[in-house]
Amino acid sequence: MDGGWLLLAILFSSLGPGIAIFFLPEHRQGLRTALNLGGAGTKLALVGVLLAGVLRGDEYRFSLPLMPGIDLVLAADALSLLFASLSAVLWFVTTVYAIGYLEGSPRRSRFFGFFSLCVSATVGIALSGNLITFLIFYEILTLATWPLVVHRGTPAALRAGRLYLGYTLTSGLVLFTAIVWLTLLAGAEGFTPGGYLEGLAETHAVTLQVLFVLLMVGFGVKAALVPLHSWLPIAMVAPAPVSALLHAVAVVKAGAFGIIRVVNDVYGAELAIELGLTAGLLVIAAVTIIYGSIQALRTDDLKQRLAFSTVSQVSYIILGVALAGPLGVIGGLVHLVHQGITKITLFFCAGNFAETLGIHRISELDGVGRRMPLTMLAFTAGALGMIGLPPLAGFVTKWHLGLGALEAGMPWILGVLVLSSLLNAAYFLPPVIRGWLGERREPWHEPLQGHAGPTRFETHWMLLFPVVFTAALGLLVGLFAGLGLSPLGWVSLIVQRDYSLPGFGL
Amino acid sequence: MSGVLLLAVPLVPLMLAVFIGLRPGRARLNRLVPWAALPGLALAALAPPGLEATFSSLLMGTHLAVDPTGRAFLGLTAGLWLAAGLFALSDRRDDPRRHRFYVFWLLALAGNLGLILAQDAIAFYLFFSLMSLSAYGLVIHSGKPEAWRAGRIYLILAVIGEVFLFAGLVLAAHAAGQSSLAAVAAARPEGWAQVLLVLGLGIKAGMLPLHFWLPLAHPAAPVPASAVLSGAMIKAGLLGWMRLLPIDAAGHAALGEALVLLGLAAAFLGVAVGVLQVRPKTILAYSSISQMGLMTTGIGLALLLPEARGWLLAAVTLYAVHHGLAKGALFLTAGMQRQWPVARPARAAFALFTLLPALALAGLPFTSGALAKNALKEPLAAEALSGWLAHTEWLLTLAAAGTTVLLLRFLWRWRADLETATDGLDRPRWWAWGGLSLMALLLPLATLLAGPTALPLSVHDLYGSSLLWPVMLGLGLALLAWRGVRDRETPRVPEGDLAVLAEAAWDSVRRTRRRLALPGPWPPRIPARMRALRLGARRRLEAAERMLTRWETIGLLFSAAMLGLYLTLLAG
Repeated sequence: MDGGWLLLAILFSSLGPGIAIFFLPEHRQGLRTALNLGGAGTKLALVGVLLAGVLRGDEYRFSLPLMPGIDLVLAADALSLLFASLSAVLWFVTTVYAIGYLEGSPRRSRFFGFFSLCVSATVGIALSGNLITFLIFYEILTLATWPLVVHRGTPAALRAGRLYLGYTLTSGLVLFTAIVWLTLLAGAEGFTPGGYLEGLAETHAVTLQVLFVLLMVGFGVKAALVPLHSWLPIAMVAPAPVSALLHAVAVVKAGAFGIIRVVNDVYGAELAIELGLTAGLLVIAAVTIIYGSIQALRTDDLKQRLAFSTVSQVSYIILGVALAGPLGVIGGLVHLVHQGITKITLFFCAGNFAETLGIHRISELDGVGRRMPLTMLAFTAGALGMIGLPPLAGFVTKWHLGLGALEAGMPWILGVLVLSSLLNAAYFLPPVIRGWLGERREPWHEPLQGHAGPTRFETHWMLLFPVVFTAALGLLVGLFAGLGLSPLGWVSLIVQRDYSLPGFGL
Repeated sequence: MSGVLLLAVPLVPLMLAVFIGLRPGRARLNRLVPWAALPGLALAALAPPGLEATFSSLLMGTHLAVDPTGRAFLGLTAGLWLAAGLFALSDRRDDPRRHRFYVFWLLALAGNLGLILAQDAIAFYLFFSLMSLSAYGLVIHSGKPEAWRAGRIYLILAVIGEVFLFAGLVLAAHAAGQSSLAAVAAARPEGWAQVLLVLGLGIKAGMLPLHFWLPLAHPAAPVPASAVLSGAMIKAGLLGWMRLLPIDAAGHAALGEALVLLGLAAAFLGVAVGVLQVRPKTILAYSSISQMGLMTTGIGLALLLPEARGWLLAAVTLYAVHHGLAKGALFLTAGMQRQWPVARPARAAFALFTLLPALALAGLPFTSGALAKNALKEPLAAEALSGWLAHTEWLLTLAAAGTTVLLLRFLWRWRADLETATDGLDRPRWWAWGGLSLMALLLPLATLLAGPTALPLSVHDLYGSSLLWPVMLGLGLALLAWRGVRDRETPRVPEGDLAVLAEAAWDSVRRTRRRLALPGPWPPRIPARMRALRLGARRRLEAAERMLTRWETIGLLFSAAMLGLYLTLLAG
C-alpha cells in the first residue's frame, strides 16, 4: 500500500463516520455510538501504524494539485505525529466521555457529526505538508467548532459562539493574507526543517518581519496569546467535552502547532533569531503566562479558572519554541502533549462535578473528595501537574524550559516560570484543599441521579473512566519520561532528527 | 536487587497510603501504619556500604543510594516515624477522621525517606515536595481555626520554598551540566543558585527570618505529627544543604559567615522568644528553631574550616540525630499529660522518660547531647577562626544555658496540666515514648562503639566543664526569672512572631483593596494618589478584558484584515 493512502485513511477514519452520523435519526443511539467508537478506534490503530512506520524511517506523502504551482500536500514527519497521536488518543477518550455526558440530551447527531469533523480537521492540520494545506484545514476547524460551542443554544452560548467566530474568522483572514503574501514571495514550498526563507533574508527582511507578525496574529487567536485570548474564557459555557476539545485536543493546540510550524519549518530558528522575531514572541509568551494566571486567580468559576489557566499554559509551548535552543524546544514541544493530557483531565473533572453534583464554583467544592474520590484524585493529579510538581507531566516541561532558558542565556525566563508556578499553586491548590479537607454539612444535590437513577460508581462509568485514564496517563508520561516512547523521548527524537537548531552540540 | 531494596523504602508507605485511601474501613490496615517505616530502618541498619541503584527510565533518570550521611539520617527518620507511628495509633484511636490522617502521614513518610535516598536533583525535589505538601494535611488535621491559619502560613512558605528550590536546582544543574547531587555540589552553585538553594531549603530548616511558620505549624498538628515535623522533617532542609552546598570547595567564606551568623542568631532568638510563650508545644517549636540554629552554625563552620570539614559534617549529622530523637521524645512527652501514673515505680519511669531527653538537649554529661555538643565544638578549640568568629565556640557553649532555661519553661508549663491516668496506662504510647527517651543514653554508646570513621570520638567527649556550667547558669537564670517575674502566664510575644507582622501587612493591603472596591464619598487624603493609581490599574485591567470582547474591536480588526488582504492582492 502506498504511504499516501495511509494518510488519507487516517483523515477519512473520522470524516466518514462524521458525515454518516449527520444523516442518522436521533434515536439510532447504538449505531451512532458504534460509528463514533469505530472511527476513533480505527484512527487510533492507523496512527499507530503510521507511528511505527515513521519510527522505521519510511516516507509518507500525498499530494493533489489545487492550482498551478500550489498543491494540497499531506506528509508525516515526527512532529506531525506528535500532534496526530495526541489528538487521536485524546479524541478516543473524549468520544467515550461525550457519549456519557450527552446521554439523553437532544440533537446528538448534529453534535457528534461536527465533533468528528473537528477531529478530521485537526488531524489534517497535523499532517499538512505546506502552509496552504494547513490554512484549509485550519479554516475547516474554525467552522466545524462553532456549532459545538453554541450547542446548548442558550443566550450565553450564542454570545460565546459569535465572539468565537468573530475572533477566529478575523484571524483567519489575517492568516490568509499572510499566507498568500508569503506564497507570492517565496512560492508554495513544503514545510522544511530549518525553514525555506533564508534566501529572502537579505532582500526582504522587513517584509519577513511584517509577515511573521501577521502569521502570529493569525495563529495567536487560536493559541490564545494576550491580547487575542478573550474568546477562550467566554467559550467555556460550551459542554465539557467541547471544552476538552477546545483546550486540549484541537483548537488551541492548532494555533500553537501553527506557531511551531512557522518558527521551525517556515522561517527556521536561525532566521527567526536573526530577524529578532523570537525575542518579541518570547515577551508576548511571558506576558501571556503571567496575565492568564492572574486572571485565573480572580475568578471563582471552576471552568473559567481552567480556561484562563489554558491561556497561561499554552504559552509555555510558545515560550519553549521561542527560546529556539534544543532544551527549550524540547520543553515547548513536550508541553503540547503534557498540557493536553493534563488540561483534558481537569475539564473532564469539572464536567463530572457539574453533571453529578451540580458544582460549578470553587467555593462549592468543600468535601467533594468524600463523595467522588476518584474524580477528585484525578483533579488533584491534574492540578499538581499544572503547577509542575514531579513526577507529573508538567514537571518534565518546566524542568526543560528552565534549562532551555539558561541555555539561551535568558535567566529572566526562569523568573517567569517561578512566578507562574507560584500563581499556579495559588489558584490550583485552593480547590484541591477544599475538595479533600473541606467539610460539607448538608447532603449533596444530585442532578445526575435525579434523571438517570443511581450509578454503580461515583458517577456514570463513561464519565469516570476517561478521567481516570487521562489522569493515569498524565502520571505515567511524567514518571516514565526516560523511556524512548514517552512524549519526552519522542520529542527528543524530533529535535535530533528534524531540527537544525543553533548551538545544538551535546 | 539493590534497586528493589531502595525503591521499597518509599514505595511501601506509598502503597499502604493507597490501600488505606481506597479501603478506609479496614482496621487491620491501620495497624500497619507505623511499620511502613520499617524497610527504611532495616536498610539503615543492614544495608551493605555503597548500596545504590540507577533507574534510567524513571523521570529523567533516577539515582538512589545509601551513603554514610544518608544512613544516619535514614536511621533517625525511620526510627522516629516508627515510634511516633506507634504513638499515633493509640493517640488517633477515637478520631473519626483518622484514615485521612494516616494517608497524609504515609505520604509524608514516603517523601521523607525518599529524599534521603535520592542522589539526583529531580528525585530529591520529588520527594521533598511530596513530604512538604503532605505535611499540610497533618498540620490542619484538627480542623480548628488556629490549625487552618497555621496551615495556610505553612503552605505559602512551603510553596515558596519549593519554587526557590526548583529554580536553584535548575540553575545549579545547568551549571553542572548534569543533575546528580554530587555533580551539582562539585560544580559549586554560586550567585543566585546558591541564594535560592539556601533559602529554599532554609525555609524547611526553620532558618531565620523564614522560621515563623514553624512555631505555628508544629504545635497545631496532633502530637505524633508534631514529633515527626520537628524531629525528622525539619532535618530535610539540613540534609539538602549538606548535599547541595559547595562544602567540598574552599572559598565560600561569605556564605559560611552568613550561615554562622544566622545560626547563632536563631540559637539565641529562638530561646528569647520561646521563654515568653505559654503553650508547651510552642515552646518546643521555638527550641527547635534554636537547635536548628546550632546545626546551621555547624554547616557554616564546615564552609569556613576546610581542613575540619569531614569532622564537622559528621558532627552536624550526629547533632541532627541527637536532636531529632530528643525533640521527638519531648513532643511525645507533651502528649503524655494525661498519663501520670499512680504506682511509684511507674512514676519514677515517667519522670525519667520526661527528664532524659530534656537533659540531653541541654547537654548534660553522659547524654547524647554531651557527645554531640563536644563533637561540634572540637575543631574550634585551636585559634582556627579570626575576627568575631573567634567567639563562636563560646557562643555555642552559652546557647546551652538558653536551652536549659527554655526547657525548664517547657517542663513547668507542661506540668501545670498533668493529669492522673484514670483508666490505666496506655502501653503503646509508653513503649514509643520510653524507647525514644532512652535513645538519649543509647545513642552515645552506639556512636562510641560503632561510630563513623570521620568522627573518632572517645569516652572523654562525654563530659567536660564546658557542658556543666551552661546548665548551671541556665538553672540560675531560670531561678532568677522565677523570683523576679510575677505574671508568668501571659504570652509576651504572639506565637509565630514575624507571621503576625506579615499577616497584619497582608490584612492592611486587603483592607485597602476592599476600600478600593467601594470608594466612599470622601476618599482618605494621604495615600490617595497611590490608591487612585491602583484603582485605575484595576479598572483598566477589567476594561481591557471587556473591550476585547466588544464587537467594535473585532469589527476594526476585521476591516484591517480586509484592507491588508486587498493591499496584498494589489501588490501581487
